[in-house]
Amino acid sequence: MSNVTHADHALDHDDHKPQGIKRWLFATSHKDIGTMYLVFSCLMFFAGGTMALIIRAELFQPGLQFVDPGFYNSMTTMHALLMIFGAVMPAWTGLANWMIPLQVGAPDMALPRLNNFSFWLLPFAFTLLLLTLFVPGGAPAGGWTLYPPLSLQAGDSFPLTIFAIHLMGASSILGAINVIVTIMNMRAPGVSLLRMPLFCWTWLITAYLLIAVMPVLAGAVTMLLTDHFFGTTFFTAAGGGDPVMFQHIFWFFGHPEVYILILPAFGIVSEIIPTFSRKPLFGFEAMVYASASIAFLSFIVWAHHMFTVGMPLAGQLFFMLSTMLIAIPTGVKVFNWCATMWKGSISFETPMLFALAFLFLFTIGGFSGLMLAIVPADFQYQDTYFVVAHFHYVLVPGSIFSIMAGVYYWLPKWTGRMYNETVGKIHFWLSAIGVNILFFPQHFLGLAGMPRRIPDYATQFADWNMVSSIGAFIFGFSQLLFVYVIVNTVRSGKKATQRPWDGGRGLEWELPSPAPYHSWGTPPSEEIINRSSAN
Amino acid sequence: MKADQKRTIRLNALLLGGVALSFYLGFILMAVLGVQ
Repeated sequence: MSNVTHADHALDHDDHKPQGIKRWLFATSHKDIGTMYLVFSCLMFFAGGTMALIIRAELFQPGLQFVDPGFYNSMTTMHALLMIFGAVMPAWTGLANWMIPLQVGAPDMALPRLNNFSFWLLPFAFTLLLLTLFVPGGAPAGGWTLYPPLSLQAGDSFPLTIFAIHLMGASSILGAINVIVTIMNMRAPGVSLLRMPLFCWTWLITAYLLIAVMPVLAGAVTMLLTDHFFGTTFFTAAGGGDPVMFQHIFWFFGHPEVYILILPAFGIVSEIIPTFSRKPLFGFEAMVYASASIAFLSFIVWAHHMFTVGMPLAGQLFFMLSTMLIAIPTGVKVFNWCATMWKGSISFETPMLFALAFLFLFTIGGFSGLMLAIVPADFQYQDTYFVVAHFHYVLVPGSIFSIMAGVYYWLPKWTGRMYNETVGKIHFWLSAIGVNILFFPQHFLGLAGMPRRIPDYATQFADWNMVSSIGAFIFGFSQLLFVYVIVNTVRSGKKATQRPWDGGRGLEWELPSPAPYHSWGTPPSEEIINRSSAN
Repeated sequence: MKADQKRTIRLNALLLGGVALSFYLGFILMAVLGVQ
């Protein structure tokens, strides 16, 4: 063990970290803030998941069973807002907070107090958003895309929702600034950009995307607000405005947002697959360039969400072809992950199982995305359950599985304890089976013509809806095992070694487990950096 | 942390914040011009 880690041990014993509630309220440690983000994300995941189960319970049979249609619409809208802005994005920021300083050899994030502010904006934002469930007119019900004129007809929930979105956006932008500034200025000497782990790279690219597009969403919802309360007519045709302009602005944010939700997942999978294949990542630089290409392309594909709105033929062709181009860098990534495993000494611990499920199932989501990119086909698929199946394949076994993979992978480093591998594997298999029973039949429903965002449906769709709902309950309830594993690990897991995964490379594995409260107070030595370099 | 590193960090953060703010105002301005 190096001098650095000895020094950190010493720091760990007399670091005088604040105790009690103040430790969390005034937290400036990247680890504490990372933990808060992850716990918050978990709470939102279960709140959003409950809404999903209400939706699937209603759809278990044709006819109206449990909720009225207005409330059903609120559930689809709130489920999306909670899962995107409350569960997945804060989970990524939590993982970034925990891991980026450890991986680049920095003592903390560059702007710790801003970091605290970024986090604490979120509980306020989501309290406001969840309060809309109790205001006259109910929670927003026009879909997470907030298309006018429907969204402008919302009741008292409207200003609360807009303010909540502004707060979420501000939190994301400040978090992104922190990530960029940390990576650009706080890397230990010797950790050059191309020696930085892929997780840091994909997060760096994500952070630039966030800074570019979250203000666009903020601008769009500000204009909705002024249309609603201050007599402007940005999106009101009667006053000379254009509701379609909102869709263009929204999706200029919305498509890069999709990559914000998935790029860090690429980073995590690129860490886990080499570790459990006991081989370095195949084509490190190609992975970096592929991620950057995907990020660039995300800015020029937005109107593929709007083919049926109507646009010139040249527009259709441009957006169809630019969308298909994304398959190239994505294909490079999938190829490189497979090539990393080729002739590797593979073992199948829980993080690897989740990463492999990501590889298979995210690719299915990618392929259905290609189908949706084809303009004449999209005219058939638009607003059907095929779209719901597509983006849930990308987001659940894509983003959520890789968040879980990351948590299992780094939990020993965070807590100093090993999770229960048996329960972890049971959690994986129930999740993987449940998620496919849940979402795969939705492809069939969509191709058969079932529209999305409806609480009732024609009886011809009954069978696959029943199957899908059964899958939803299997998947939903199996997530309680995830909480059990984490709580059990923290309370009574076996002691973890400094390097619990023998194939693990990266500076985080050069620190003791648990990582000391202050880590890399002295930058890692050149020898350590050479040993742990990702490239 | 050295003073010049602190200064660079603050400058970088302000610059990125400025970019975000200009995107926000820029898109609203574009919409204003578009509507007119």
